[in-house]
Amino acid sequence: MLNEKRCVITGLGLVCAIGDNVDECFDAALNGKSGIADAKSFDTTECYSHKGAEVRLSDEELAGGKYDRTTALGIKAAGEAIKDAGIDMDSEVASEIGVLLGSCIAGAACVEKYYKQKAKGEKGDISNLKAMPASVIAGNVADYYNAGGITANIVNACAAGTLSLSLAIDLIRGGKGEIFLAGGCDSFSSLAYSGFHALRALAPSDCSPFNHSDGITLGEGAGVLVVESYEHAVKRGARIYCDVLGSGVSSDAYHITAPRPDGEGQMNVITRAVKNSGLKFSDIDYVNAHGTGTAKNDESEFLSLKTLFKGSKDLYVSSTKSMTGHCLGAAGAIEAVFTVKALVEGKLPPTTGYSEEDLKVLEEKSGSINFIANKPVTKDVNYVMSNSFAFGGNNASIVFAKDPNVLNLTCPKQSLYVTGIGMVNGEYNEEKGDYIANLDTDLFKAYGVKSAFLRKLDRLSQLQLLSGIRALEDAGITVNEENEGVIGICIGTNDGPMTEIANFQKGIIRDGIEKGSAFAFPNTVYNAAGGYLSIATGIKGYNVTIANGFQSGIQSVCAAAGAIMFGYESIMLASGTDECTDIDDEIFSDLGFTGEGKMTLGEGSVTCVIEKDSSAAERGAKRYAKIAGFSSTRDTSGDRSDNSRMSEKALIRALENVLEEGGMKASDVKCIYGFGNGIESIDKFEMDVYKKFFGDDIEVKLIKKEYGEARAASSSLQFAMLAKDIHEGRLETGIAVSYGTSALYTAVLLTRA
Amino acid sequence: MNNEIAEQIKGMLVERLRIPADELEYDSELFGEDIGLDSIDSIEIIVGIENLFGVDLSGSGATREDFRSIETLTAFVEAHKEG
Repeated sequence: MLNEKRCVITGLGLVCAIGDNVDECFDAALNGKSGIADAKSFDTTECYSHKGAEVRLSDEELAGGKYDRTTALGIKAAGEAIKDAGIDMDSEVASEIGVLLGSCIAGAACVEKYYKQKAKGEKGDISNLKAMPASVIAGNVADYYNAGGITANIVNACAAGTLSLSLAIDLIRGGKGEIFLAGGCDSFSSLAYSGFHALRALAPSDCSPFNHSDGITLGEGAGVLVVESYEHAVKRGARIYCDVLGSGVSSDAYHITAPRPDGEGQMNVITRAVKNSGLKFSDIDYVNAHGTGTAKNDESEFLSLKTLFKGSKDLYVSSTKSMTGHCLGAAGAIEAVFTVKALVEGKLPPTTGYSEEDLKVLEEKSGSINFIANKPVTKDVNYVMSNSFAFGGNNASIVFAKDPNVLNLTCPKQSLYVTGIGMVNGEYNEEKGDYIANLDTDLFKAYGVKSAFLRKLDRLSQLQLLSGIRALEDAGITVNEENEGVIGICIGTNDGPMTEIANFQKGIIRDGIEKGSAFAFPNTVYNAAGGYLSIATGIKGYNVTIANGFQSGIQSVCAAAGAIMFGYESIMLASGTDECTDIDDEIFSDLGFTGEGKMTLGEGSVTCVIEKDSSAAERGAKRYAKIAGFSSTRDTSGDRSDNSRMSEKALIRALENVLEEGGMKASDVKCIYGFGNGIESIDKFEMDVYKKFFGDDIEVKLIKKEYGEARAASSSLQFAMLAKDIHEGRLETGIAVSYGTSALYTAVLLTRA
Repeated sequence: MNNEIAEQIKGMLVERLRIPADELEYDSELFGEDIGLDSIDSIEIIVGIENLFGVDLSGSGATREDFRSIETLTAFVEAHKEG
């Protein structure tokens, strides 16, 4: 049986406003010391709130000021986790370590620096430009420590930190890795401050979750956990903190910023995590709640907890955000570290800030739940849970335990098929010199998308929505009450909503932090496109967005396949999406990637429906092709200070892995859908590797010649075109391959259905 | 109704909330079936009106009814605009 592999935590790293390491932070949390003070990173004079929970360390004190602050915080926490786990990063083990990091605002600090320079008419600093997208974070952290395993940046806003841990256990149990640094990092930023200020979601003073619930206080920090297979940990003699049991991921399909008031999505995700862990609700001893302090979150979360845990006699709950602030993409990871510490030490941290009067109100409203206010509780606990809920209606939940328990993840191994394809591709536009997609309103109206909904969507979200609904149509799937919970979404992107991020940042540089747009802010999160797709279609299952370079579109297929393998879903939409706007033109031109003899930018979105055999058979679905093997690989050979390096070894390993998984030889493959994009060094590298591996006769199809470099959309298109070629009898089999920064490669082998 | 104010409000709604201009009439129900605005949009309208006319909708006691259409917003601005 699949999926029974035991996963354990062997290292912890933490930095946030209440401490520079795990011990400092946990001591402070137990003692109720808040890190909230007047914000210092930027001027908040004109704002109605002035509070923040900022890390005491300066940029210089974090990795020597050489990285964006988000990445630097990740480096800090990862370093502590590596040391804590007793790993020698010059040893063989280092080459296996993958890095999975969640982030919400990514390189927002560098976005601000870059556009401030531009606003003054100066030339923008290229190092800031390179650090802007979320795509580079995990690779940079991995390169910094010589970790040679695969990377992914999970960008599901405030659920990202928990989702990256969930992905780590899935990859280990799916046989795609043995050890990961997993967590999240986010810096304090004028972008998020201005956005939450515009939404009137900042608390006027220190946030007070489940108490006054008058808003959040933003924080910053990073949490990193070493997640490892039990066998691997034992083999290297590691100290084991605890087991990681199951996780849950779900989506509300309700609203882009607000949670469902009835708590349905939250209850779904908690139920998933408890069930996957092989537990009953009453087994859970402690919940580290999302508890942001907004009225909408606190009300729906309280309702969810009280409903699901009504049979629990001894459940303890707290939110540590009253001390750390809301650290967005790092929140889930920071809280996971607190949750693990609480489990191991038998000390449960409180939510602070309750007056005597508040305590009376709390007692009345918390009912049978033991809500931990002001003072820690000492209690021996066995099963603990951490929950995160995000913009886009994304929910994630994970369970840690003192024993391995018997998980409920076993599902019979089944073949996976491509059963639907939806494409939005660009056409060459003479005036712009790019490949631009047609997004006429009528195209959406034909599917019943109302203009009241469509107007809220930025270009990236519109591209994504159109390919998503086309894919569902092509697959003959109508989302209804019966299947809404067994369909999920996995989106890959290189640049995400960089246009919205840049325009929002330019706006507040021009008008002031207090003048941010409430309308525009929700679209600056990378998972907005996935959120809108779930809202428009009603899909309530798994929902993840991965920002990880050009290969993200193919990596989304791998993550989708994983979500089905674990029985989370029967059907997954796997997409690659990137836009091409004036902002993208400026960025890629400044980077020196476009222009004469280089690449031509494109845009688009391609969604493929990935479905398990039994579901496809039941529906009588059309099958384009069978997924015979998938693999991501990476290494740190060459100059690892250069994250644009290529690695022949890593690329060849990806090809070998998919062939091995598919039980095939190199000579069985006649065609590759490659990633060449017109940059000579990349194109030559790619062709040389294929000729060496497959022989001179290998046919290499390069779709970017016809559609431009549409980044994640291109890698999805390579995969989709291969599936079509096989379906239409032009090919028996083939491999789609793409690459990301820090020498990351992903390959998928398709064969006849 | 002051057409000049109404036209400025319409322009603001089209720009800030990306409402298609051809679907927006002065009497269109902003928060109803016609246009389908929500709470985030109302925050944006408050900021837009303040920037244009210096009128603070939330501080001047505007009610749900005042947000109903461009016509009602125009009337509120007219009544509360200084000078």
